[in-house]
Amino acid sequence: MALDEQNGRSEAGESRLGFTLGPDSVTFDVDETVYPLEVIYGGCYLFVDRCYVFLSRPSERVVNVRLTSRGPATPAELDALAGEFANELLAQAARLRLSQGTARIREYYTAAALRAAASAPSVDDLLAELDSEELGDDPLDIVVPWEEKAGEKGTGEK
Amino acid sequence: MSRISFDGSLYAPAAVEAAAAAYAGYAAITLERAADAVVAVVGAVHGADRATIEHAFSNLALQETIVRTRRAAASGTAEAA
Repeated sequence: MALDEQNGRSEAGESRLGFTLGPDSVTFDVDETVYPLEVIYGGCYLFVDRCYVFLSRPSERVVNVRLTSRGPATPAELDALAGEFANELLAQAARLRLSQGTARIREYYTAAALRAAASAPSVDDLLAELDSEELGDDPLDIVVPWEEKAGEKGTGEK
Repeated sequence: MSRISFDGSLYAPAAVEAAAAAYAGYAAITLERAADAVVAVVGAVHGADRATIEHAFSNLALQETIVRTRRAAASGTAEAA
């Protein structure tokens, strides 16, 4: 592939973390039995704005990930980039497992919320209910306007 | 001219097509369908250097693939529910 044939880029060096370093790029294999494709996609999605990501399949159940920096990068920077990607794979895998483990309870809560929303009365229902209510006695004169009460008390005081 | 092979199990053909269409203004890209891959043949480029255009094109193909895969999974879940 032509993407490997880049001249004028920084030299490849030794990877401290065991990745394969190339000119401004780092490659490594991911075992799909450990990290499902969905997890690899999750990691890639977070990295496409930081570097160039290219996937290939050297053998069955193995995905080769190549991260190429957007500018010149030292071996240490490439190592750090790949290390962060590997960490992100782990985080995505944990997230996926958690999501699968709690899928049923989330479905239950969603269904319960939808049922509750469907059985809740509408505004029109509530207004109709208010209209139909009969007002009882008013021993505290709550419905008597304030002016009337104040007028009765206020007359003769001044 | 260079060739970029997008493995069919990793890249959605429609996503590669969408990326090629998006980069039509920067490079002459033709797609060849192989049995288990889509091969992009990148001809003359303009607007930037070849490596940058090829990397960016590949990035977009991957991003489109991920977005389409997730969208399909979400609609499948919604239909199942």
